[in-house]
Amino acid sequence: MKRVFQHPPAPATGKKYWRSLGEYRDTPEFRDWLEREFPAGASELNENEWSRRDFMKLMGASMALAGLGLTSCRRPQLHLVPFTKSAEWTVPGKFLYYATAMPRRTGAIPLIATTVDGRPIKLEGNPLHPASGGATDVYAQASILDLYDPARSRRFLNKGKDSSRADFDAYLEKLRGQIGSGDGLAFLVEEVHSPTRERLRAEVEKACPNMMWCVYDAGLSEAQNYATRTSFGENVRLLPRFDRADVVFALDSDFLDCGEGDLAGARAFTNRRRVRSSSDTMNRLYVVENRFTITGAMADHRARCAASQIPAFAAALAAKIADITKDGALTSLLGAINWPTEGGEEIDDEWLNEAARDLVSKSGASIVLAGQQQPVVTQLLTHAINSALKNIGRTLVVREFARNKNNKSILQLADRMNKGEIKQLFILGGDPVYNAPRAAAQDPEKKTPLDWADLQKKVPDVVRLGYHEDATSGISQWHVPMAHYLESWGDALTSEGGYLAIQPMILPLFGGLSEIDLLNALLGRPKVEGPELIQETYRATKPAGDFATAWSNFLRDGFAANVPARDRPASFNGGAAATAAQQHWTAPPAPTTDSPEIVLVRSYAMDDGRYANNAWLQEMPDPMTKLTWDNAAIMSPAMAKSLGVETGDLIQVSISDTAKDQNNEPIRRELVIAAYVSPGHVDDSITIPLGYGRKKTGPLAEDSGFNAYFLRTATNPHFVVADGKNIEGVRVSKVGKKYALACTQEHWSIEGRGVVREATADHYRADAKFVEKCGGADEPVANIFSLYSHPPLDAAQQWGLNVDLNVCTGCSACVIACQAENNIPIVGKLQVQHGRAMHWLRIDRYYASAKPFNEDNGEFPENPEMVHQPMMCQHCENAPCETVCPVNATIHSEDGLNVMAYNRCVGTRYCANNCPFKVRRFNFFDYNQRPIGKKKIAGEFGIYREYVAPFTEKGAPDVTKMQKNPNVTVRMRGVMEKCSLCVQRIEEAKIAAHVRAGASGESLKIPRDSFTTACAQACPHEAITFGDIKDPESKVSKLKQQDRNYRLLDYLNVNARTSYLARIRNPNPKMPDAEDIGVASPTEEEHGSEHS
Amino acid sequence: MANFFPRWTNWLPLQMAIAGILIACGLTAATWYYVTPKYTKVGYQPVQPVPFPHDIHVTQLGMDCRYCHSFVEVAAHSNVPNTQTCMNCHQQVQKDNPKLEPVRQSWESGKPVEWVWLHRTVDYVFYDHSAHVNRGISCFSCHGPVNHMSTVYIDKPHSMKWCLECHRNPENFLRPEDQIFNLDWKPEDVKPAEFVAKYGQPHGVNEDWSKKKHLTQQEIGQTLKERWHIQPTENCQGCHR
Repeated sequence: MKRVFQHPPAPATGKKYWRSLGEYRDTPEFRDWLEREFPAGASELNENEWSRRDFMKLMGASMALAGLGLTSCRRPQLHLVPFTKSAEWTVPGKFLYYATAMPRRTGAIPLIATTVDGRPIKLEGNPLHPASGGATDVYAQASILDLYDPARSRRFLNKGKDSSRADFDAYLEKLRGQIGSGDGLAFLVEEVHSPTRERLRAEVEKACPNMMWCVYDAGLSEAQNYATRTSFGENVRLLPRFDRADVVFALDSDFLDCGEGDLAGARAFTNRRRVRSSSDTMNRLYVVENRFTITGAMADHRARCAASQIPAFAAALAAKIADITKDGALTSLLGAINWPTEGGEEIDDEWLNEAARDLVSKSGASIVLAGQQQPVVTQLLTHAINSALKNIGRTLVVREFARNKNNKSILQLADRMNKGEIKQLFILGGDPVYNAPRAAAQDPEKKTPLDWADLQKKVPDVVRLGYHEDATSGISQWHVPMAHYLESWGDALTSEGGYLAIQPMILPLFGGLSEIDLLNALLGRPKVEGPELIQETYRATKPAGDFATAWSNFLRDGFAANVPARDRPASFNGGAAATAAQQHWTAPPAPTTDSPEIVLVRSYAMDDGRYANNAWLQEMPDPMTKLTWDNAAIMSPAMAKSLGVETGDLIQVSISDTAKDQNNEPIRRELVIAAYVSPGHVDDSITIPLGYGRKKTGPLAEDSGFNAYFLRTATNPHFVVADGKNIEGVRVSKVGKKYALACTQEHWSIEGRGVVREATADHYRADAKFVEKCGGADEPVANIFSLYSHPPLDAAQQWGLNVDLNVCTGCSACVIACQAENNIPIVGKLQVQHGRAMHWLRIDRYYASAKPFNEDNGEFPENPEMVHQPMMCQHCENAPCETVCPVNATIHSEDGLNVMAYNRCVGTRYCANNCPFKVRRFNFFDYNQRPIGKKKIAGEFGIYREYVAPFTEKGAPDVTKMQKNPNVTVRMRGVMEKCSLCVQRIEEAKIAAHVRAGASGESLKIPRDSFTTACAQACPHEAITFGDIKDPESKVSKLKQQDRNYRLLDYLNVNARTSYLARIRNPNPKMPDAEDIGVASPTEEEHGSEHS
Repeated sequence: MANFFPRWTNWLPLQMAIAGILIACGLTAATWYYVTPKYTKVGYQPVQPVPFPHDIHVTQLGMDCRYCHSFVEVAAHSNVPNTQTCMNCHQQVQKDNPKLEPVRQSWESGKPVEWVWLHRTVDYVFYDHSAHVNRGISCFSCHGPVNHMSTVYIDKPHSMKWCLECHRNPENFLRPEDQIFNLDWKPEDVKPAEFVAKYGQPHGVNEDWSKKKHLTQQEIGQTLKERWHIQPTENCQGCHR
């Protein structure tokens, strides 16, 4: 029988002594526990041996261990969870690569997606594809983050209430009964070139012949299409062949911006700028634009001209060329527009003369381009000029590119919506409430302008397929979540007409539908899980061999080789062009300081606003302004002075139309926006990038920037100037308040140091070793020996990097690629203002001008040139950062890398202090786990969420964690990080070499140029090259052997492993501004004079 | 006042100093012994959801490690087997054994078995199995005699110091490539004549090892190290990327 111990009665004093909480509460469990002699796990003991003392001893010890002891100090129990049935080909932790494509407005980009454990983490270009050659741009790199956007739409919404796919299918069933022959049916879709979507559209059209299909893309203008149709016929596209062009003339054409969609063209252009020695020739670029663009930064000759005056500029150029070539079509076109006309801006006659002469001298090997957002007449003039220069068919090929004739415009749709004719509207993607042209229609009685939101409310049944639950979804009856292209089956055409496959990397994360899924459902067909819809389209291309093999090859390669691109014989229809030009000729008066022009352009980060909630793109410094998180009104220094503003001051832009509303007041549109002063901008013109100020899309987009779409109407999509036709007046005034802009680079002068070295082609030919002489303030000091000894650099392969400044356009694809590959967090606008942006790779942007300017005195260069320089860790052999780390967290490896051991770092930040290049980034606030942004806790004390980090919520959403690269440590607060030359890729290559050698004496060398860093892989222009510098045949070694090769701050004896190839510009010596070109680095004369 | 403090307080500072030194030494010794992976990790033997006995499957039945840990030669992670691998046999063998109930349930429901993770390196350490297993390091060197464990326990400390012991002297652990998955292999099992015929012997050794009775681990390891150019990295970047 168990002895039941009786507790002694409570003492008479009333004081209670208790040994445990259980006893205090005297719970039945505690009594039970006491009465069971031994806690679980102890062995049975013979009760007769037990005395009261023994019992107390055991109880004391057990109590200490059990509830009140150190249970929280035990190791956390984690789990290994395998599959139940493995997925084919999936090896845990090993990367798998699949080909896919990213659909874009001009053409899709072929991609290879890196997937691990069933989810994609990184996108690269597809090197197999002949056009893109393995390149990507910022949008392709950043689109992976869109897939894992926590603010993505995850639900079906029916009039704002949660619904389901089943309910949506039922609704479509009902709708089909009402649609009939499609009288009231309309589709508003984005510009995407998908043969399968076209095929399904045709089926819908067959079922509902009266339906309306409208294509609208805020970043695309119909002008270019119209001009091409008129000049060259239907269903063609003009493709520039930059590889054949010696001279390129860009009229407000930012063709080097890969965001326009033509990666292959940009690549071909920069390939002609690559020089191997002073005997190589380069092409020559003339750019005429109102603001600095990526193309303008690359230009050899750049003229500033207001965007509204570009048609006049084009006509002036055409006149000069017509004079020299005596081309009939060109002359007649000029006659049709009665050129020369009065008014307009002054154009430098000599500049134009020499440029025209240069173009004519290179007839058949030149290209004149007009930006696609320029009005029709600029496009027509450009076509005529190219025809006069005999470029058509040689440097500009006429490529067949189908375009459905029944595509309507958004204005036509708006008109019908206004009349109440549309009953069922399907909006696939886009965000028309945000970016549709303002004043799309007019209220019939009140004569007030109607915006898209007003029009959409007139439609009884609106189904919106949207990626975010944004403003458009807010007023639509049905919101259907959209699937990302990485989650869907699809197909696409490249800008050159190549046929690409889009295959999903992962099932739709949140049950979204793709466009073709929706069309398929609308047609009443059963749900398609696999690629059957695409296969049907592919089958129609009649692939050779048996279908299954052909289809497999199509998916594996990512493109169909059997779909050839066809060119048409070139013939410019001068007559039609002349008639059209006469119809559309516009010669607005030159803008003045009191009535400037407002130019609305796509932003480099946000595109037309579709990436508003993409963290990486929000934080990407704009290549021209280096602004993050906001847009600004960009203006010239003179304009800013006349307005009395400087960067950060708020201005109000107000535009009044000639059209009047019911009270006979001119219709006005206003925007308050921060100003930004940009040297090199033309006077009397203000550029405002679109894509910001998008509300209701996600937390990152909410407070970001100013919505310039408020100023954009259908008649003036690109520039707004008081021409008396549609616009009565443009007024800009200072508001008097300031706005904090987050700019990553505020200092833009090279200050006479040889950081970016540049010369003209002639100078290079005369002196091949100019690079050694333009160190400027850096006097190469001979033979400082280093006191610092590091591990001997004795590995068989030594890594190095080379950046060719001649081909770097500053597009920042490398910055985003690095961020994607290395799990680099974003920090939010406030931290960027504090200079704590985490990008391992930054692109420095400098202005250079022949006339010296003192930036600190507020002097600005007049008409400067722009140079870009990517800056990443230079991996110095004698690294200043390694010597000063008190805990030896940063060391040098045997193969030349400056290595960072994150777990050792205690956060002294001495290494960043000592780094002469300032490429080390410190994680101040655990950015991967803390909420970012300017959310104040105690605003008056300036206390923000990040500062009270221990007390704020911690943790990242699961989807954000899914994007992280498992091969790279995710760094925590207090740890320094920097470019590692993608050490994870180097180690993977080494491991692969070891595994290949296995149990044999084979060489462990990694094959030459078999892998590369993320930045080098992403660059569309192959500006960055990585490789083994010990191997004289590797690509990087050959580049480093060139005579343009130089290292930064060599006089510090840091022996950087990263070197640069100096920039060469190719000015035309006959041009009046030739002497002002190629002046970024101090010349020999200046250098000499400092040391006399 | 005269003798304010009693005489015994004269010795107090000395006693405090000695006590202080003893406490410091004691704490250091305790930390050195108790707060290192050798003490905290070794012997960890958690209860698994399914009491999978390696000794029965490997030693008694003769299964190869790679039947279940199939990707160890190609990937960084050596995987634990999926339920399908278990059910390959256990659909018939021991098909009513209650210990296998979680496996059968997992197969039916599609939810995987959640094994408790033993050999875990920290997030900032990147270990690659394939680089080791293909180059002469056996499972035994790091995981101990798994083939004799009825429940897996951690046999080695898996601390950085322990990793470096091998990286600095790989000859203490290398073995012929056909013996990687033979966890009972001993250096005495090697027949010197055959070994030297296949792998030769290290440079600079005059003695003819094929005539020796036995080869030590160091001798075997040294031969293989030279032959296969084994140079384990000792640089931080090898494991801390």
